[in-house]
Amino acid sequence: MSSKFHVIPASALVLTTLGVLVGCQPSTDLGPVPSQAAAEKIREQLSGDSEGGGGGEAAEVGTGWATLKGRFTFEGQAPEMPAYNVTSDQATCASGGAPKQETIVVGSDGGLANVVLFLRKASRVHESAQAPEEPLVFDQKQCVFLTHVFTVPVGQPLQIKNSDPVGHNTKIDGKNGFNRTIPAGESVSFTPKKAEAKPASVACSIHPWMSAWMMPHDNGYAVVTKPDGSFELPNLPAGETLEIQVWHESSAGSNGGLVVNSDQAKELKWDKKGRFKIKLTEDETKELNVAVPASAFSGG
Amino acid sequence: MKLATQVNRQLFLSLLVLGSLGCTQGEPPQFRLNMISMTSNELDSEYQQEIANVLSGLFGTPDEPFAHPATGLNQLKLDLASGPAWSDKRGYSHGLYRQHCVHCHGIDGDGYGPTAKILNPYPRDYRKGIFKFKSTFNAAKPTDADLHRVLANGVPGTSMPSFELLPSSEVESLVEYVKYLAMRGQLETELAAYVFDELGVEEVEDESGTVTEQRIPFDPSASPDQAEAVLDILSEIVAGWDEAGENVIQPAEDAIPADNRSDEELAASIDRGRELFYGVKANCIKCHGPTGLGDGQQTDHNVWNKENMDYIEATTSMADSLANADPETEEEELELDREWALLKSREEVSDTLLPVRNAVPRNLRVGVYRGGRRRIDVFHKIHAGIAGTPMPGLGAAGPGAEGTISEEDMWSIVDYVLNLPYEAPSQPQRALPTNHSNITQ
Repeated sequence: MSSKFHVIPASALVLTTLGVLVGCQPSTDLGPVPSQAAAEKIREQLSGDSEGGGGGEAAEVGTGWATLKGRFTFEGQAPEMPAYNVTSDQATCASGGAPKQETIVVGSDGGLANVVLFLRKASRVHESAQAPEEPLVFDQKQCVFLTHVFTVPVGQPLQIKNSDPVGHNTKIDGKNGFNRTIPAGESVSFTPKKAEAKPASVACSIHPWMSAWMMPHDNGYAVVTKPDGSFELPNLPAGETLEIQVWHESSAGSNGGLVVNSDQAKELKWDKKGRFKIKLTEDETKELNVAVPASAFSGG
Repeated sequence: MKLATQVNRQLFLSLLVLGSLGCTQGEPPQFRLNMISMTSNELDSEYQQEIANVLSGLFGTPDEPFAHPATGLNQLKLDLASGPAWSDKRGYSHGLYRQHCVHCHGIDGDGYGPTAKILNPYPRDYRKGIFKFKSTFNAAKPTDADLHRVLANGVPGTSMPSFELLPSSEVESLVEYVKYLAMRGQLETELAAYVFDELGVEEVEDESGTVTEQRIPFDPSASPDQAEAVLDILSEIVAGWDEAGENVIQPAEDAIPADNRSDEELAASIDRGRELFYGVKANCIKCHGPTGLGDGQQTDHNVWNKENMDYIEATTSMADSLANADPETEEEELELDREWALLKSREEVSDTLLPVRNAVPRNLRVGVYRGGRRRIDVFHKIHAGIAGTPMPGLGAAGPGAEGTISEEDMWSIVDYVLNLPYEAPSQPQRALPTNHSNITQ
């Protein structure tokens, strides 16, 4: 009888000690706790009327214009794309069998399509880079967006078309939020007004396998590689260092940055965010051919 | 057996002793970081700390919120809504958010309070700045009046109750605090993207020509460029809230149905609405189903669940990639170590996420309308769609633009939808089958 009472406090003591050590420590999953001193300093600096204003080092500015062109290829055996899981409107969407996914599109000659290249910051913009007034047609047929990846200058209207006999809706994520029904055989106009730092997802809620990517930009320097993997960025500012972002939807890198590790890429200082640097001389046409290894892609 | 009982009893008593000791006064609550944003942008603990500092500088803490002048938020209202819940001598309530909201919406407004796991739908995560029940165009923020209405009426059919019994001033303070958490949350995500995009490691060449890698700290109090960038990002977020009033959908006067319609006129409008509901233009049938039970397309997700789903899928895919990785050089090995560490932190975040749920289209036959049952509420949903969800709109995407169908037709769909629960006595509608085998993950 009495021995029992001796045992209980002993184990309680052990647990209590443990508890003090573990239980009452501030929980670590809360992540970093802000430093009060740093926060106060930031508040003081960022709440005043004066905005501090620029002050940064003056960026180098060259003169004239130049062109960057080339081709992206997939290194090795291109992956077999599985078919989409078509769950509705079979008659329209899968009349000739379910369409193939387009997460990695490689042409018969190894060309890698749907790579987006864009100039991150433009010190100056060529006069040809005006947003066209005529609309950019973005069509869908057999429940597939006919343009899987596209760039659009902000201010150019999109003509979102539906060439199917069934209704669709087009839902665009990101800063230009949009979600409208697109009736069968009709089209709806929409003008993206905000540039993005990376392509925004485009989807259809009625047919959830449908997927596309839209890159709205405001400097005119954004391009998607064609089915043969080729691209051309004309009228780039010459005589200054340009930082080009390379994006692919299935990239293994964060935020879609396509990372290439070849010797040529090292020369271009191609980094882990999928960016490289290049300086073109006036009127130069620089040829850039990039072989992308399977390991650059997610799951590769 | 006997021994086991004794051990159990001892353990129980020990725990009782332990429990009675309790912990000392807790630390004041802190905002936690949005770890999806942090890990998606590969931000290390140092950058996370710096982002926490910046957020605290601009928005303060849960006990001491700060209404930064650029936000236009009202400090007095934030003070009333924030901090611990208590009543002063005159009976005025303080700490309203923690009294009424925090158990579901969480201290950060991340919709991850203690009850979140057992609620369906999940409580709203404010941090995207996206709200479903509002009078504005799809991409626009809600007005104060919209948020006020949700608080006053609650969201029928969900766990969100009505706060109609609170004095108006308290509801207003809570509206202000919700906006505060939404602005703060959106800024956090955009700062994470900013740090990923603009900062990190840069190569610096010294006088002797040696190139070294240098980390660019995120400290806007020391860098005027960063200060400007941060204030720009904040102003853009605030502008969205400021413009909400201009983005209210104003129904055209001549399209609004008359108040004194005859039974025949109403019936004709309902018939027109039915035609549109089933037609390929409005296409409501696709999701709400041939009988309006919400049994159409059910495999899509809202933006909150989709973010979690995409995050989990990307993490799984990263794990597969790393398991197959075969580093050849020392450099590649170092890179692989870095990625394993990132994967580990992503997996830790994945484990905390609520199970992903599909967006289930509303059953329109039960007569419960989450966004309100006034004709104008239903009109707004049909016009703008429902932000953050798969539900598309039929009206113009913004002021001055053109809609897919006329407003008269939209009002007819309103008539049809509001009439759906009132079925003919001879044709009672069966309930939605409970076997949702096609909508689970």
